[in-house]
Amino acid sequence: MNLKMPYIRIVVIGALICLLPLVLSTFYMHIAVLVLIWAFLACAWNIIGGYAGQHSLGNGLYMGIGAYTVAYLVNRFNLTPWVGLVVAIILSAAAAAFIGWIVFRYALKGAYFALVTIALTEAAVYVVSNIPALGGAGGMQMEYRGNSLAYMQFAGQNGYFYMGVVLVVFILLLTQWYKRKRFFYQLIAVRENEDAAEALGVDTVKAKIKANVMSGVLCAVGGVFYAQYFLYVGPRSVFGEVVSVQILIYAIVGGLGTTWGPVVGAVLLVPLSEITRGQLGNSFPGSQLLLYGLVMVLTMMFMPFGIMGLADRLRQRWQHRSATPLVDSQGGEAS
Amino acid sequence: MLEVRGLTRRFGGLVAVNDLTFEVNEGEMIGLIGPNGSGKTTTFSMLSGALRPSSGTIAFNGERIEGLKANKVCRKGLARTFQVVQPFPDITATENVMIGAFVNTGGGRQAEAKAREELERVGLTPKADTLAKELTLLQLKRLEIAKALATEPKLLLLDEVAAGLTSTEVDVMLKLVRQLNTEGITCIIVEHVMRFVMNLSHRCIVIDFGSQIAEGTPEEVLNNPAVHAAYLGEEASIA
Repeated sequence: MNLKMPYIRIVVIGALICLLPLVLSTFYMHIAVLVLIWAFLACAWNIIGGYAGQHSLGNGLYMGIGAYTVAYLVNRFNLTPWVGLVVAIILSAAAAAFIGWIVFRYALKGAYFALVTIALTEAAVYVVSNIPALGGAGGMQMEYRGNSLAYMQFAGQNGYFYMGVVLVVFILLLTQWYKRKRFFYQLIAVRENEDAAEALGVDTVKAKIKANVMSGVLCAVGGVFYAQYFLYVGPRSVFGEVVSVQILIYAIVGGLGTTWGPVVGAVLLVPLSEITRGQLGNSFPGSQLLLYGLVMVLTMMFMPFGIMGLADRLRQRWQHRSATPLVDSQGGEAS
Repeated sequence: MLEVRGLTRRFGGLVAVNDLTFEVNEGEMIGLIGPNGSGKTTTFSMLSGALRPSSGTIAFNGERIEGLKANKVCRKGLARTFQVVQPFPDITATENVMIGAFVNTGGGRQAEAKAREELERVGLTPKADTLAKELTLLQLKRLEIAKALATEPKLLLLDEVAAGLTSTEVDVMLKLVRQLNTEGITCIIVEHVMRFVMNLSHRCIVIDFGSQIAEGTPEEVLNNPAVHAAYLGEEASIA
């Protein structure tokens, strides 16, 4: 019973969220869709960055692959975005596997891994900007074909909103399910102590590549959704370090390696940045970036495990206070 | 069960382990001793796959394993503990042990059951749900053993599991390791705490500057002048 609780919570909260369109105005619905897009992407990043502890600064690469694949296939061959989605999944999986294989085989870790990923996503910006078929630096507009699920296009925001809810609920259920499986335990072992993980039979290279592929594919799915919502893709809007960093900020602020952390981070920060941009965007351009910086610094200083980590600690403290103090058993007696 | 032939490891000009040859039979408890820096841990690292030998062969149950990666060696039934304990700090003791248990099962529930079993075996049940970073050294050393045991090893390499423990704690550890051996796990022990090795080992291999200088029962080794010279010196005070 207890084990089912987290799943029920995800579905129930997801269902309740579906009532939001009844109360929100168009402007806030737009923000709500953005929250869902970024929450989904942050959850996807959380697999490689939070659970496996490999701080990729370049997941925009996979988001971009997803967005550009769907935009190109829809524009050029008149295919439905669903075909684009499948192709995007295949391409991003191949890219993530290849990059993971090279990077992890040569045991690039920490800052080196971060640098390589940021270099790759920046390189992608310049490559894409110089391919005329992909719209060059100007990006690609996609045509609006009418309100239809077959085209993954909707009139107004509600359709996108429900699709976003489905995606986020899906990724939360996926994360929750994997948390009890060998794969995520192995990722956590890799994050906590790679040598010890190897010594306990964990193929750390394989585990990291798998995490990179899973994270990359899901980011590509997020990219497809992003492209369909904005009906526009540009090199800097889906590739590049700004997007990549944005993805991970939500996960870090919300709580690395927790199921809900990335969602909580996105729910708090996306509206904050959108509203600041709305209010101060003209008089004080870049203010929302300043805000991100400030929030990051405060998070690092006061809650290194993010909001979910802080919540955990407060809960533990509360339980400690209400329960009788645990007697620290003498190690020697227990055997 | 384990056959080591001509095992050598060089680090640049330094020969850390030089032409080491020995065998371990099933059910044995072998003490691998020697002064600091004599190459014991390097030997362990090569046996467990963490380090590639410069030359020589290692056969485990008739199968050559030298140069295999650590995770493959572990899955063949040869597990190790680390001299400097290597817990996964931010997860509970049970979850630490589950990582090892996942070698033989994919399911979370089975792995957890296995992990709790191994924690019971090493006497860590009261700390099952404590984060590893909150455990004491003795508890961490037991956790190291539980993690290794969860992979169901046939041969267990114990790297200084008694080091840094108080005298009472050494007794506890001694009892535990002897128990494991009677349960059928072959062990190689690297240890500086003489009382520990001498009490447990059926046979001791002594190395100095990477080379084997003596082999025999604990008594034979203790009375060997070469060993005295290299390792125990004048102030040999063996309990």
